[in-house]
Amino acid sequence: MSPLPMISIIDDDESVRVATESLVRSLGLAARTFASAEDFLKSSLVEETACVITDVQMPGMSGVELQSVLRARGADTPLIFITAFPEERVRRQADAGGAIGFLAKPFDGSAMIECIDRALTARGAAPRP
Amino acid sequence: MDDRGDATGHEDTDIEPGKNWQMAVLATILAAAIFALDTFSPVDMAIAVLYVVVVLLAANYVERRGLLAISGLCVGLTLASFFIIHGDSFDLGSVMRCAVSIAAITVTTLLSLRNQDATDSLKEQAALLDLTHDAIFVRDTEDVIRYWSQGAQELYGWTRAEAVGRNAADLLKTAFPHALATIRRELLQTGRWEGELTHTRKDGSRVTVMSRWSLQRDERGRPAATMETNSDLTERRRAEDALHQTRTQLTHVTRITTLGELTASIAHEINQPLAAVVTNGAACLRWLDRPEPDIGEAKASVERMISNGRRASDVVARLRALARRSEPQHTPLDVNEVVEEMLQLLERELAQHRIALELAFDRHVPAVAGDRVQLQQVLINLSLNAMQAMDAVPPRGRRLGIVTRAEQDEEGRAVVIEVRDRGPGIAPENLPKLFNAFYSTKQDGMGMGLSISRSIIEAHGGRIAAAPNETGGMTFAVRLPVPEDEPT
Repeated sequence: MSPLPMISIIDDDESVRVATESLVRSLGLAARTFASAEDFLKSSLVEETACVITDVQMPGMSGVELQSVLRARGADTPLIFITAFPEERVRRQADAGGAIGFLAKPFDGSAMIECIDRALTARGAAPRP
Repeated sequence: MDDRGDATGHEDTDIEPGKNWQMAVLATILAAAIFALDTFSPVDMAIAVLYVVVVLLAANYVERRGLLAISGLCVGLTLASFFIIHGDSFDLGSVMRCAVSIAAITVTTLLSLRNQDATDSLKEQAALLDLTHDAIFVRDTEDVIRYWSQGAQELYGWTRAEAVGRNAADLLKTAFPHALATIRRELLQTGRWEGELTHTRKDGSRVTVMSRWSLQRDERGRPAATMETNSDLTERRRAEDALHQTRTQLTHVTRITTLGELTASIAHEINQPLAAVVTNGAACLRWLDRPEPDIGEAKASVERMISNGRRASDVVARLRALARRSEPQHTPLDVNEVVEEMLQLLERELAQHRIALELAFDRHVPAVAGDRVQLQQVLINLSLNAMQAMDAVPPRGRRLGIVTRAEQDEEGRAVVIEVRDRGPGIAPENLPKLFNAFYSTKQDGMGMGLSISRSIIEAHGGRIAAAPNETGGMTFAVRLPVPEDEPT
């Protein structure tokens, strides 16, 4: 395990992915980015990930589906959802899966940081430096 | 004369067997009387000519073979009388009288046969007319019903016996779409007329029919009768109305759905770079706020903000280009023509809302430059609003006024189109909001119509305004500038 908690960022839009990664790194955390949920699941980083920040609507597997897959595998990785279409139905699905946060794009930087802090505390990971 | 009995077996059901039998007896008595008179009276005349009465009487009740037999019998009786009286000594006069009588009987028989043929074929044709479901009747020049088909009986409820001889318009309480004089003129000129009529049935219910009239002329070319073929539109009309309503609702739903889809896709296209801008901004501040500010990371964040900002504005530019593709075509237009075409589209709505039109067109207005379809959209919108506003007033007071006129003021020459209603009007405090998007005085209104109308008119360099009428209701005035180079 790497010394810093690792955040995995999944979004099909590169600009959002890169900006979110920069924000996470500015907090002193490690970050990895993926263009799809499938890419993330295929990677060897699922176990190491302390928190997932994922888009909801993506080509292929959606963020909510990813949550189900992780829960089915027995992983309790905390998830933060970001979406351009904040629909109540989707939010309820995410909440039911134990989502840490559900943020509408463009999201507020401090709201995101708050979510990440909660995720890390819940995971019992070392708080960010 | 037992042949007469055949008549009871005749297919023609119009003749009652009882009456037939009485006629047979009458004709027999008559023939016997003539025979007696001819044979035993001293009168020196061609009494046998009277046999034609027997033939004529029979012609109405027996068919071809029977009639031939009867007339043969009459000729035989004539000859019999002749031989009984003049058996041994016949003079020229008596022979001539006998010959004249026989000739008269023969000619009468032939004419009757021909008449029977003609009647039969007419009856066959009339029976054919009864086969169609359409209501068919024939009116003479006095509008009196002369023929009434089975279909007419079924549609209107009056039997043939009840209808024939009655005045058609009185019986059916016909409501004509145009002045009767106009219809008559067309019928006389072209020999036919076609249109929708409303009739009243025997039970008092109303029925709308598609009516086709054909003028029948006599051999000298004078109008003799009119055949009217009517098919019931009420059912079809009801179905059409339902279809129309469904289509209107569908269009409305489609429009909202399209708007919704468009909004969602635009939102997404613009939201992504905006989200990146905001997140990069937040990250940038974080990099600067660190105990040791990371200028390199902060700079990279700001650079991404700029490029993401550009990306958002590119989306807007693409949207603009898309909108420009359907940019209106400005051509010289006669606003009167535009209004007239628009009114054709509204015919159905006008009838449905039972609204009378009051048109005042200045036929000499100069041409304006504009997009015909867009201007019609505006006028349709204004007219539909006006019609809906008048739903609240009794039908007699529902009048849609459309005025066109030329105007000259300090801004230059212009053409003004006014749409007036006699509805309840709009409260003065609501007038300023009237053209705002999403503002509606209608319960289910989207509040887009007037806002879009204003955009269209302003894109034409014109103005649209609403003002209450002195006599109640509203007037919406569209003012379109006349191009400089347009001749007066």
